Amino acid sequence: MRRSSVSLCLAVLLGSLVALVRPVAAHVGGLTDTTVSAPVPTWLTVLTGGAIVGVSFLLTSVVTDHDLIRGVAGAHIRLPGLATLRRWGRRAFQLLGLGALAFIVVTGMVGPTTPTENAAILLVWAAWWGGFTMTVYLLGNSWPAVDPVRTLAGLIPSAGRFSYPDRLGAWPSVAGLLGLVYFEVVMPVASAPRFLTVVVLAYVLVGLLGAWAFGRATWFGTIDPVARVFRVYGRFAPIQRTADGFELRLPGNTLIDDATSHPLARGSSGGDASEDAGSGRATPINEAGQTAFIVALLWVTTYDGLVATPLWRAFATPIVGVGIPPLVLYLVAILAGFALFLALYRLATRRGRDAAETYVSARFFQDWFAPALVPIAAGYHIAHFFGYFLSLSPALLAVLGSPLAPPTELLVIVLPEWWGSIQLLFVLVGHLIAVWVAHALAFELFPGILTPLRSQYPLVLAMIVYTMISAWIVTQPFGAPPFV
Amino acid sequence: MISNEFTGSDDPFDVPNSEDVARCPHCDRPFASAHQRDLHLGEVHGDRLTDDERAAFDAGIEEEHDRLWMYHFKAVIMLLVIYMATGLLYLIVLSG
Repeated sequence: MRRSSVSLCLAVLLGSLVALVRPVAAHVGGLTDTTVSAPVPTWLTVLTGGAIVGVSFLLTSVVTDHDLIRGVAGAHIRLPGLATLRRWGRRAFQLLGLGALAFIVVTGMVGPTTPTENAAILLVWAAWWGGFTMTVYLLGNSWPAVDPVRTLAGLIPSAGRFSYPDRLGAWPSVAGLLGLVYFEVVMPVASAPRFLTVVVLAYVLVGLLGAWAFGRATWFGTIDPVARVFRVYGRFAPIQRTADGFELRLPGNTLIDDATSHPLARGSSGGDASEDAGSGRATPINEAGQTAFIVALLWVTTYDGLVATPLWRAFATPIVGVGIPPLVLYLVAILAGFALFLALYRLATRRGRDAAETYVSARFFQDWFAPALVPIAAGYHIAHFFGYFLSLSPALLAVLGSPLAPPTELLVIVLPEWWGSIQLLFVLVGHLIAVWVAHALAFELFPGILTPLRSQYPLVLAMIVYTMISAWIVTQPFGAPPFV
Repeated sequence: MISNEFTGSDDPFDVPNSEDVARCPHCDRPFASAHQRDLHLGEVHGDRLTDDERAAFDAGIEEEHDRLWMYHFKAVIMLLVIYMATGLLYLIVLSG
């Protein structure tokens, strides 16, 4: 269609971003605890974030030509003939994962007990949960190869002893994810190396038992929450596995694939959907609990940031003061917040369904649009952890060099003041990609032009709410979670 | 319907018990209006349309483009309002 109008619209989008983001940058002083007076108050920064997401939706609504949307969403470069590389790469990654596990166990048990000097602590939190997770959504999901538990489970028979009830779907991994993050926040897994080692070993043991009980495919493909986190993040990544090698995609666009290959998709009778059938995608869009898992992923990263804010401290202090145990408070908070996020998403999708005047069921609508939340989760993860990873990376390198007798003076990078605006930018870019993914998903499901556009309104409103929450948390000074 | 959200029901549709549901003659997908059905026919089954269906599709597309013009008009107004409101807020806050 009108290519010129599209490029014009992109130019306006970029222009508006630059125009709107600049004032936000003026705010940086408020992000750290410096005494620089912040000329732009937090509420205005947060409001601007929401406005940019709204504006980006209005601008994407100019792109309504289905072929163009599909062309952008499906753009890929195939890298065939890399099967050999993949096999050897897999071996190398497996060795790396096993080596890292052994290294963590040894240094966690006999290394120094100061957390920032201990290689196990730094490897698990800075290198793995910070750095490795970033590689999963920025490059590609290598976790199935790296995961030492999966490699070890390869030694036991792959057939399970018990059959897994399919109707449970992803729900056990939802509970597992919430449980792991709760555990991480309330227990000293990031400060006590010996304790962390025990937890890691317990995790390995549970994984092996699970793979033995339910079979490797079911355990790592359905139940294991960590494997699912990386699989979901991996769908955002530009490097994707195919049947005969790899392909390069635009970030976030693989999230749309499940929809384009679905029988209800607009172009599904065109025949190019079956072409990708062998690309190893694992989760059908209607797997029970998969939507709840994506919402949980979004929520746990928010929760992780929320409990470190002064507001949380002010909120928790009187509650703990009247004798409520902090462990209970944190548990109630993670469950209530998850319920709230899920309720907001369900409300938004129900309204979207009403706006679209469709007979597609509410549940199907929810599951169809859930992948659009993944870029938001990734954007928030990188805003949260990139700085953490950078500031600890010199210590990580020094400690890796001599894990049992680390240098006494460890370098920690102090991030510059403008880092705060970089964080906000990550949150925003995640949301902009999310708006695009929702747009493409809507045009796959609904006929015409106005129906797909209308179906997105409530979802975009929900995204604006999520943006403002994330942007607010990112602008808050960081402190350790109180009382635990 | 609530329980439907927790179980892996495979039926993607939730059609109310009324008789006037516009269905696609090829894939049986239900639509809330004949307009949506006509658009669907042209977009998904465009290679096997009858003359009537082709005419209905063309008319439907025309209608969509008319509505889209109005939509874009409103979107531009919204953009201007957001721009001006944000600009005004910054002006007030930064000068205050």
